Amino acid sequence: MKLGRPRRRTPPETIIALIDVVFFLLIFFMLVGRMDASAPFDVLPPTAQSGADMPGGGVTVSVSADGALALEGGVMARVGVLKRLAERLDGAPDTLVRLNADRGAPLRHVLPLAAEIEALGAHEVVLVLTPGLP
Amino acid sequence: MRISRPTGPRAAISLVAMIDVLMILLVFFMVTSTYLDLDMVPLAGAEAPGGGAGGDAPVERVLVRLSADGGAFLRGQPLDPEVLRRELEREPALDILVLPSGQASVQALAGLMDVLVGAGAQRLRIVRLEAQP
Repeated sequence: MKLGRPRRRTPPETIIALIDVVFFLLIFFMLVGRMDASAPFDVLPPTAQSGADMPGGGVTVSVSADGALALEGGVMARVGVLKRLAERLDGAPDTLVRLNADRGAPLRHVLPLAAEIEALGAHEVVLVLTPGLP
Repeated sequence: MRISRPTGPRAAISLVAMIDVLMILLVFFMVTSTYLDLDMVPLAGAEAPGGGAGGDAPVERVLVRLSADGGAFLRGQPLDPEVLRRELEREPALDILVLPSGQASVQALAGLMDVLVGAGAQRLRIVRLEAQP
């Protein structure tokens, strides 16, 4: 007679461990990521080492390498950008205005824009950089 | 006589639905966030280089020109960080004016600012271009 060994029951995987891992991943990505409206065109910020940490909040104006402008993710003409910024800055001049310019963008598209935004009453206009060697 | 109904087995809360929601949140944050490490330099406003600086005492000024191809020039010579460093050691409050060409790239300006700050510049101003050439 053949005696069959009793088959061991495989222990069920605990689903709790999976939930823990997913929770950790969720919190990690929430903390590490930055929820910004990304520009509709490619913008690669210039690299430099002398920048300071950038706080959250504020308005982002993106400038592409060929001078196209976008405000909070939407392509817009220069007049439109300045008009919308004037509305945002009216009553809240402390709003941080970030100029996210492509590293290849000519300065004639960036510096006059910064001056015009300052003329709208913005107290703080900053240029976005990525840390690293130029 | 009170007839009690037999209590049925308690329905277990399904964890699968919760995992689904967590996964959707996870994917949402992974896809919508940007993970570039971003820094900033003030460009205009009260904290801009030289912004709000009063002209109390006559200060020495030096002009650094940024050409269209990204080269920096100090008094007509290509900028040597060592020369600038020596001048800044002699006069730490040296006012450095950067005159960028409109054709120079943003990267060239950022790189030049790095060089100037690395040489010890404390007062740095960018001469803004008012009109488009």
